Amino acid sequence: MGNKQTIFTDEQLDAYQDCTFFTRKEILRLHTRYHELAPNLVPMDYTNDPDCKVPIQLIINMPELMENPFKERIVESFSEAGDGNLSFNDFVDMFSVLSEMAPRELKAIYAFKIYDFNTDNFICKSDLEQTLNKLTREELTPEEVNLVCEKVIEEADLDGDGKLAFADFENMISRAPDFLSTFHIRI
Amino acid sequence: MSQQNRDGVWNPAYHHSETLEMDRGSPERSQHQNPYASEDFRPQWDGGPTGRGGPEVLPPYDMERGPWDTTETIPMRPLPSEQDFGERYPATSPQVRNGFDNQGFEWEPANENSLAPPGWQQNSLEGHQAYRQGGESSLRQRGVRKYSLFPTGTLSTSALERLGFKEDEFQDVLEEERQDLVRELAAMSSRDRVRAVRQLPMNLQEKDQIRKTVLLMKTSEKQRQEQNCCTDCSQNVSMSFRRCGASLSAVPQALQLWQGTLKEIGGRFGTSVLSYFLFLKWLLMFNIFSFLVNFSFITVPQLFDHEAKNTGTFRGLEILTGAGYFSNSVLYYGFYSNGTVSGGSASGNSTSGMPQYNMQLAYFFTIGAYLVLCCISLVYSAARSFRENFMLAGAVVGNAGRLLSSWDFSVVNEKAVRLKQDNLRTQLKESLAEKTNENLSLTFSQKLARFGIHVAGWLVSTGMAAGCCAGVYFLCCYNMNLINKSPASQSLTVEAGTLLLPVVVSLINLVIPLLYSLFKKVEPFTFPRHQIYALIIRNVLLKMSILAMLCYFWLEQVVENDNINCWETFVGQDIYRLIIVDFIFCLLGSFFGEFLHNVIGTKCLSGLGVPEFDIARNVLDLIYAQTLAWIGIFFSPLLPAIQIIKLFLIFYLKKVSLMQNCQPPKRSWRAAQMMTTFILLLFFPSFSGALSVVAFIVWRKAPSKSCGPFRGLAVPYDAVSQWMDSVDIDFQGSSWAVWIYNNLIKSVLFFLIITLLVLILIYLYWQIVAGRKVLIVLLQEQITNEGKDKTFLLEKIEKLKAQNSAQTALASGREAQRGGAEVSHHTGSRAFQRSRRRSQDRGSRGLERGGVSTVDQGSRSTGRGRMPEYEPRSRGRDTALPGYVQEGLGTTSMLGSEREYPGRTDYLQEDPYSQEDGTGPPVPSALVQALLARRQAEEEDEEEGY
Repeated sequence: MGNKQTIFTDEQLDAYQDCTFFTRKEILRLHTRYHELAPNLVPMDYTNDPDCKVPIQLIINMPELMENPFKERIVESFSEAGDGNLSFNDFVDMFSVLSEMAPRELKAIYAFKIYDFNTDNFICKSDLEQTLNKLTREELTPEEVNLVCEKVIEEADLDGDGKLAFADFENMISRAPDFLSTFHIRI
Repeated sequence: MSQQNRDGVWNPAYHHSETLEMDRGSPERSQHQNPYASEDFRPQWDGGPTGRGGPEVLPPYDMERGPWDTTETIPMRPLPSEQDFGERYPATSPQVRNGFDNQGFEWEPANENSLAPPGWQQNSLEGHQAYRQGGESSLRQRGVRKYSLFPTGTLSTSALERLGFKEDEFQDVLEEERQDLVRELAAMSSRDRVRAVRQLPMNLQEKDQIRKTVLLMKTSEKQRQEQNCCTDCSQNVSMSFRRCGASLSAVPQALQLWQGTLKEIGGRFGTSVLSYFLFLKWLLMFNIFSFLVNFSFITVPQLFDHEAKNTGTFRGLEILTGAGYFSNSVLYYGFYSNGTVSGGSASGNSTSGMPQYNMQLAYFFTIGAYLVLCCISLVYSAARSFRENFMLAGAVVGNAGRLLSSWDFSVVNEKAVRLKQDNLRTQLKESLAEKTNENLSLTFSQKLARFGIHVAGWLVSTGMAAGCCAGVYFLCCYNMNLINKSPASQSLTVEAGTLLLPVVVSLINLVIPLLYSLFKKVEPFTFPRHQIYALIIRNVLLKMSILAMLCYFWLEQVVENDNINCWETFVGQDIYRLIIVDFIFCLLGSFFGEFLHNVIGTKCLSGLGVPEFDIARNVLDLIYAQTLAWIGIFFSPLLPAIQIIKLFLIFYLKKVSLMQNCQPPKRSWRAAQMMTTFILLLFFPSFSGALSVVAFIVWRKAPSKSCGPFRGLAVPYDAVSQWMDSVDIDFQGSSWAVWIYNNLIKSVLFFLIITLLVLILIYLYWQIVAGRKVLIVLLQEQITNEGKDKTFLLEKIEKLKAQNSAQTALASGREAQRGGAEVSHHTGSRAFQRSRRRSQDRGSRGLERGGVSTVDQGSRSTGRGRMPEYEPRSRGRDTALPGYVQEGLGTTSMLGSEREYPGRTDYLQEDPYSQEDGTGPPVPSALVQALLARRQAEEEDEEEGY
């Protein structure tokens, strides 16, 4: 317990608790995990908000993310600069959104970001192709990929602009009840 | 290129810009008027230098009309004859002519300039759209989420500059939104606020800042309100309370069972298999709760009662049969006393100072409260899961859902990931194949055959269930006869003989579902989902009918049998045996079903393959066992303890079996919806059945004469009515309670009224739901219509842009052509600036339309009102022009202009007049001007129409 005080102040823990879906204990556990990623980089003492970031390579090698086909996109979506290097805040943020408690709307926003590979705020055909290739290990023929992507856009594109805006995406997600339980990483 | 231009290429686009120039020149003029229709207009044109012949007009105009007409669909009124045109408007205005007397005028910059604005315009349009989209989509549901969705990440500063936003302007907007958000948050209760802050789609630092601002605002408000020294103190207290509460809320999480195991299972087998284990865990929690309730309110008081003593000896077989030593213990109904229990050694004597504890009432109310609590929590979880999972699931999710929402992020095992990817690929391929031969419809005879097979399947399955029920019933009667023959026998063989019934029942439960699942080999289903549902319904039917048969036997045969001196205990023992044997069969089932299957599949018959974990069958087994436990709760209050042990062991057993023998399910399993179905099943036939059985016993069946808490009463419920009578006598002040009891609880009329009210309420809600469904359909139609509008307007913009760029390009060509005559750098640059201004003007007008069509497509009427907001921004761009010119050329998609331009240059190169005399024909220009002005007027008409 004495150890706890040296990592975060009470105010910090309150802030984390109010801003994420985690309890104090989980925040501390997350810190431990974060610290384990790069013991040389990450200080144990976070009371004065040290500015340190763990590089993307170390983060995507976490067992929780290692096998995920979207690992780079996940990490990039949550990094502040978009380069995938996560500060502790980004790290907590990521697992907070991916936790069980996060509501569907919040999850949908970040899922949209993850699937939006070229970050143009639309899921366009190229994004879908990349998604599909990641999901199927690039073993579909280009024609099949094309066909599936067209179908997806046809199904989900409500306003007919040939790409999926966030509203289209959210609407689609609301029809997929499993999304809430599958967009979830246990830490 | 510039060479040719200097030679004097005739450029019609120039004339278009010319008309624009005139528009600007006379702002008061009504926008809808065709300038050529007004008579005042003519002198202006006539005043210009003339002298170009009419006939020369025709050929270039004709040649030009082709491309215009193909690329342009804006309807035009019929023009006067070209001859007439040429004579009326023979020349351009002198002012314009001046500008093109520059020989050294460069084509390139003008070209770039004229092309750039459309590109820039599109860019900024998209920027607007993205920005608004970001803001609005998140804003919809909660007022709190007004904050921009993509505040800084995607719209970098440079991008913003390109879009025409001054950075500080953008910051202002953000800051404003932020202020709104903070105000809204400050108005909330602290609990809502925490929840709202957590759900903000922004990173942690921003959330923290907002939270701090809100807190600061709160405290300053408070200080203003009450300058009290206690404020600080109370704040500290509330803060520490909150921390305390937070640490308390962490306790259940620390207690969470099997966190690591569940993670491992989810990581290897995905969410669907995990849901079985979550269901198991949920049931376990349920049973722990009921055990705690029963143990503390029924068993613990009974243990204080020293009169009742267990005299049997423990032999070992009791663990299986539940008889013998156990039959006279706290495990069963028969052991509980009917008097009052008071603590200490004062054996049931009310004179000791200890409080009285009426066992009858305790038994009744504990069981009753437990069942009511179960009912509430079941209804709650079923409703919640229904709301979450069937919310909009009416429409079938096709490829889209599968592709973007199906990936299970919790899977972390490499092999599982690969398997999942393979499965997904196969499914996609299958669905593609289905799409291609979708038209394959069945003939009538095939349909009939299918229908026949289904009917046969249902008949056979129902017949099997009925046969099993009959078998179970006769077996029960046979057992009864044995007991009747030798009622007092306590021998081991008789005791072991009682195990026959549960073994048979469990065998039926094990074998028949397997037979049912064999049906799928002959029974064709269009959707695999239907197959699963049919299987589940048949299994539920089987299990429930067997249970119903057993209940009938207990309530009709056992109760009437005089040879059984305590029928409640007898039934309790039966249920105990059923549960224990079911557990043993569960062990055997996973051994034979999964382990042997795995061994045979991997070693001997590779065609058999590794077994999949059958979620439906396993969940149904759990539901069956839970139903037994609920029925048995009256006969054996400590049955939940047995259930706890059983579930605990099953968890580990299934986990080991799963890890060792099984592979992740191949088919995508709609886990969330299945879970809802299972909870509903647990509620509807299972719990409600058990509840009605217990209620029937309590209100209708006479309890045993010589054992149990209700001995001597006509029905168990009499305990309550007698108690109410005694309350009426003993406590004077509680007459209201008696009144309530007599007039409300006992009154049929009261329940009738309540039922009627509930029915009316249900009907109202039903109607509301129906109305909302209609509304949803309407809104969806509206969305599609808006989408169509949007595409239509976007096309329109594209066309206008194309037209603009072509015209400006032609204009600059004209400039260059004129520029061949005189050398004046100064005027050339003036012309350059003017044309730039024109195109910007045009661009900003295009933006207006963009603002109407794309940004505010939902409310077109307000779109006009918002225009000024965009206009200043676009004008503000004027200063930074060269930068975006480059950008526009380099990056943006000036689709229309690029498509059209090459053709135009071709034409320009071929223009015979430009080759002949270096000046080019002036009269055609007048004609084109007229034409373009007219078109413009019509455009404006259209614009006004919106």
